[in-house]
Amino acid sequence: MEQNWYRLDNAAVLYSALKKEKYAPVYRFSAVMAEPVDPAALQRAVDRSLPRFPSFRVRIRKGAFWCYFEPNRKPGPFVRPDVSNPCQPIRDREENDWLIRFYYYECRISLEAFHAISDGSGALSFFRTVLAEYLRERGIDVPPDPLLLDAAQPPEPEELEDAYGRYAGKRTLRGSLQKTAYANTSPREPFYTLNVTMGLMSAAAVKTRAKEYGATLTEYLTAVLLLSLLEKQRAERPPREKPVALAIPVNLRSWFPSQTLRNFLLTLRLSIDPTLGEYALEDLIRFVHHFMGLSLNRPEMRASITKNVAFTQNRLLRAVPLFLKMPILSFSYWLVAVRPYTATFTNPGVFRTPASMEPHIRRMEVILGQATRPAPHCAAISYGDTLEVTFAGTGTSSETERRFFTRLVREGIPVKIISNREEAT
Amino acid sequence: MSYCVNCGVELDATAACCPLCHTPVYNPAQPVDRDSPPPFPTQRGEVPPASRRELAVLISAMLGSVAVCCGLLNLVLRTSHIWSLYVIGAAGMLWVFLAPPLLWRRLPLPLAAVLDAAAVGLYVLLIAWEVGGLDWYLQLALPIVALFALTLLALSLLLGNGRRSILSSIALVIGFTGAFLAGLELLSDLYLDGVWRPSWSLVVLIVAVALEIPLVVVRRVPGLREEVRRRFHM
Repeated sequence: MEQNWYRLDNAAVLYSALKKEKYAPVYRFSAVMAEPVDPAALQRAVDRSLPRFPSFRVRIRKGAFWCYFEPNRKPGPFVRPDVSNPCQPIRDREENDWLIRFYYYECRISLEAFHAISDGSGALSFFRTVLAEYLRERGIDVPPDPLLLDAAQPPEPEELEDAYGRYAGKRTLRGSLQKTAYANTSPREPFYTLNVTMGLMSAAAVKTRAKEYGATLTEYLTAVLLLSLLEKQRAERPPREKPVALAIPVNLRSWFPSQTLRNFLLTLRLSIDPTLGEYALEDLIRFVHHFMGLSLNRPEMRASITKNVAFTQNRLLRAVPLFLKMPILSFSYWLVAVRPYTATFTNPGVFRTPASMEPHIRRMEVILGQATRPAPHCAAISYGDTLEVTFAGTGTSSETERRFFTRLVREGIPVKIISNREEAT
Repeated sequence: MSYCVNCGVELDATAACCPLCHTPVYNPAQPVDRDSPPPFPTQRGEVPPASRRELAVLISAMLGSVAVCCGLLNLVLRTSHIWSLYVIGAAGMLWVFLAPPLLWRRLPLPLAAVLDAAAVGLYVLLIAWEVGGLDWYLQLALPIVALFALTLLALSLLLGNGRRSILSSIALVIGFTGAFLAGLELLSDLYLDGVWRPSWSLVVLIVAVALEIPLVVVRRVPGLREEVRRRFHM
């Protein structure tokens, strides 16, 4: 029997507190197909897939003390033509309360999701099933595969679990407030504008270059981004340089086995102090490589999970009514998740599909939605040999992405740029 | 294909300038392709919404100016009654109906019902005072307004801010409408004749019951309920 309501996991609690009239943490995954999209087939695919994913078929409601999810039985979500300004806020009582959206444009199919319902890994599982169903609707034979969740099967209870609660231990990770990081902001665009710049390149070429430095693809891209931000801050000649810190979400499923399709991630803070001197790319790659190796260990990650869960289970906080709790959570988010970071860099990795789907998908794209301030976030995803890196933000400046992509070009990696910026079209 | 002379990146064939450094594309061998669709749509999804606060200010200004103008006009066009009071009262009542939901985005339905009923009650009181009819106000108008407010309050509490299914909501609205109309006839009979002689309200009540029974059956039987949901796209 379908659950009547779901408790929010601790990441969702924070994301729901941020949801306002003009802002909501919304991200987007897109698949660029080999042929133009058939909207009717896509709608049928969405309708067929959605019952298999009850955690995406929800709406968010406000209780006296906490928000909660309940099944959304309203019509939808309906696929619609894509827009130039993606990742718009999700508002109360609009769009039939759906927290996911589907768009199509030429060959591109896009899924947008409110971060409170799922992280990138869960959303990609859902998207993979929708794409498989879409191809089946188009008459392409996509046999069942372990990579795909069968839309005809009932959902597994484990897919709905709050994995944070399951793995939270007793000892929390002690830590003090982190230093304020370089904000990397620029004048804000008019409301609803999200400038998106994508760089398309060969995944093999980047991997080869990264290997030459003894690093993985993610470590290499992280170091290039750090260098771009360090150089940008230095070029701005501030009176005192601030640390450049990246938020790097880590998919916890690799360390703590879980089938959950809800949020199950942790954010690493990778910080460089520019006052210590000039960093070369090699220094940064070495730093990122060892930092990742040191930070990604089960006991520490478990202690971090416990700390986050303990925050939402704090007795004092639990007793505070929701209308008072929201500003407290919102301020906490700014204090611990906005102020100490310059940008977010996420790489969900390689999007894997069954071999039968591969000829029909040209590439994958990811957009990390808008930040709470006008600064770009960076995200990357690979499919086949195409690595796609996106910078998206509500600021007018394109300097961060310019420095990042031109650095890659100087490293000998050919990059193709596409953008939704009005001046580019 | 074109490359940015400044950044060295390859550009889309439809790009008129480099998205990174804004250097215009000038490639005599391959002019900018203005016929192919660009990589991203150009249609914006939504225009900035009118601020609810600004809308509330606009409504307040409109109603306020109507009230003030009529008040001033009444000073010139004098009659035996202060006619502008009706307009000023109506403007006040409309303001209570419209402004609080705009200023308070999640105004609870029961509170809105109480505010609206109070506004209607005060407006009718104003009319009663102006025409010297406090008797009918106290014995008929006030009880009707109170009955209406109670009905609305109970209904809004039971509907629970849209948490009930459409079928249950329709059943509740029909039931409460029947009950309110029966109460209306009771109050008017008591005021006019001193005794209750139910007539037309009985017809309304029977129609309401006749509508309620199939709705309750559909609501209770899961198979029927799903069929109705599917057919009416609920």
